[in-house]
Amino acid sequence: MSENKTTLHVENVSKHYGEFTAVNNLSFDVRAGRVFGFLGPNGAGKTTTIRMIVGITAPDEGLIELFGERISNETQNRIGYLPEERGLYKKMKIVDQLRYFAALKNVSQAEADKRIDFWLERMKLSEWKKKKTTDLSKGMSQKIQFVSTVLHNPDLLILDEPFSGLDPVNVEFLIEIVAELKAQGKTIIFSTHLMETAERLCDDIILINKSRKVIGGTLREVKGSFSKNLIALRCVGGSEVLEDESLVAKIITHADEKEIELAENADAQTLLKRLIDSGASISKFEQIEPSLNDIFIEKITETNA
Amino acid sequence: MRKFLAVVKHEYKKIVLKWTFLLATLLFPVLGAAFAVIPALIFSIKGEPTRMVIVDPTGKIAPRLKENLSKEKTAKISLRDESARDLSVSSQGQMKNIAEQAGETFNFIEYSADAKSIEQLRSELTGKITDKEIDAYLIVPPNYDSPAAKFDFFSRKAGDIISNSILERATNGAVRSQRLADANIEEDKVKDLSRNVNFSKTTINEKGVEKSGEGIFAVAFIIGMMMYILLMAYGQQILAAVVEEKETRIAEILFSSAKPFELMMGKLVGVGLAGLTQLAIWIFSALVLAGIGLSQMSAMGINFSMPDITPLTVAYFFIFFLLGFFIYATIYALIGSMVTTVQEGGQFAMIPIVLLVFGFYMSFTVIRDPNSTASFWVSIAPFLAPITMPVRILAETPPFWQIALAILLNGLAIAGLVWLAARVYRVGMLMYGKRATIPEVWKWIRQA
Repeated sequence: MSENKTTLHVENVSKHYGEFTAVNNLSFDVRAGRVFGFLGPNGAGKTTTIRMIVGITAPDEGLIELFGERISNETQNRIGYLPEERGLYKKMKIVDQLRYFAALKNVSQAEADKRIDFWLERMKLSEWKKKKTTDLSKGMSQKIQFVSTVLHNPDLLILDEPFSGLDPVNVEFLIEIVAELKAQGKTIIFSTHLMETAERLCDDIILINKSRKVIGGTLREVKGSFSKNLIALRCVGGSEVLEDESLVAKIITHADEKEIELAENADAQTLLKRLIDSGASISKFEQIEPSLNDIFIEKITETNA
Repeated sequence: MRKFLAVVKHEYKKIVLKWTFLLATLLFPVLGAAFAVIPALIFSIKGEPTRMVIVDPTGKIAPRLKENLSKEKTAKISLRDESARDLSVSSQGQMKNIAEQAGETFNFIEYSADAKSIEQLRSELTGKITDKEIDAYLIVPPNYDSPAAKFDFFSRKAGDIISNSILERATNGAVRSQRLADANIEEDKVKDLSRNVNFSKTTINEKGVEKSGEGIFAVAFIIGMMMYILLMAYGQQILAAVVEEKETRIAEILFSSAKPFELMMGKLVGVGLAGLTQLAIWIFSALVLAGIGLSQMSAMGINFSMPDITPLTVAYFFIFFLLGFFIYATIYALIGSMVTTVQEGGQFAMIPIVLLVFGFYMSFTVIRDPNSTASFWVSIAPFLAPITMPVRILAETPPFWQIALAILLNGLAIAGLVWLAARVYRVGMLMYGKRATIPEVWKWIRQA
């Protein structure tokens, strides 16, 4: 799959429940083979949007295209959806449940059996195949649920808070598997409000709040657009360079370092070069980039105001 | 369609492969067989012979009584055929016949009553009973022919109704023979003249076809009961299955894989087929058991005629079971998608249960008079017909147009219920946390 191919196209989509608007004129694209972070606080409209993508509900207005087609039963078979609220049949053998979920995605039983064995092996749960859900620990059922999402070899994976309730070891384990799937060219939509994880995993993000899009793009772009051209500097000498108003707009002095706001049109590279040329000895020169968490909090507070 | 079949298969296997299904399926015929066979078995256990003293001052009654109570005679009484019924045989209790066949034996203890007063006799004989030398004694009054005469019978086993009734009958017979002899009347002549008429009961249906009357009540009752139990049990299954998928949020995964309507219908059809499997096993085993039971009973001299059960009748049972199943299962599915737990569903489940119980009670109306106006209406009414119509078909097959009307009306009811349930199901299954209110449900129905 080429980098530029679009897996999912959402255009001006709205969904209302009576008076309440759950999703308001939302547009975004998800590119093939990338991890897309679908971010937002609780109640922002994430689950409603995902339900429209997987074909559980239909949008009131707007267009959703998956693999270049309208949402249909065919497109449903190519999605693996791990809902935030999820479960398994309590008194049924693991293998029977997985077979059923695979059959509902149009996978033949022979093929399903092969893949069930493969994935249980991969999850180190092979000996639990004939056990019932009630015999499993919470972490184990989480992993079984993950298996049920990938059994039909979907091209698009939608993972809604996939790590909730997992211990750190299993989180790392799942992240590894997600990375493998990405390497196989799968597209992954990853919905969460854990910004650290999103920052680690996502190539692109969209942030929604109160049913609207707040910000979106590649992780780089989003972070770049938030950078206020701040530099943390610790150095001896070079004070004449820092006084140049064409380079520096403002200096805030902390105990052992300075926070420098660059002048408009000035760039950090020039400043660094000039400082070195001036013979200053530099122990720290760091462009301060806002974390996704900072952006999230700032943007959400802004739109809530 | 493939997904629909996957759901059907899943739901069917989920029920049929469970050991509880096997247990319930086997238990019903086993219980049925037990009810048919066990009473006979119990009564066939022979009691100890009764050691008895007969005090007969006249010397006329005792020999006749002893003869009546001899093994050959009691065996003859019990194996008598219809035409040999004599005056003393009441029509009560066919069970007694079975018991008599088992054979009650009496040992007569010689006892000399010469010149003892009644009081003396009694205290002496009662003493013998307490000492366990004898089990019972009978004192024949000297004025046995007078209407005021009292035959005093004392027994350690007064609760043994079977030997008591045999004894009473034998005593009556002995006294009557003596009276006839006293009046110089030939006993055989009297027997011949006073034998019962042969009263054969046959019901004739509207087509003029004869139908045997006995046994219909029992069989119709069993069918009504079976329908009631099955509809109730499988409705509850649906409720539990729907609530589980909602409670565990599996619905979310299911709805992202197949259409809600496919999922709901798949569930109804799958569970319905499981019910049909059970009904088929039951009806088959009931027919086999009835065959065995009937041949056994007729060997015992009991005439119990079965209503004719033709393949068409069986087909009607299956059709009405399916109609009933879809009506009640759809109601239960609708309730399941509105509530959050099975317990909560239990409150709403009163509605279908009341309907089922009403249908079951109405089947008695139908059994008593299958052709009354009331029977007509309850046997075509939606919700009731699945229980009452099979009962009516057994009791007295109504004209075909009435059966067709019942199928049509109940089919329409199913269509309406499925239409409603599908609308509630697709929204309700994704509503977590709280029970849907009636206005909300009404909104879902209108909006969809």
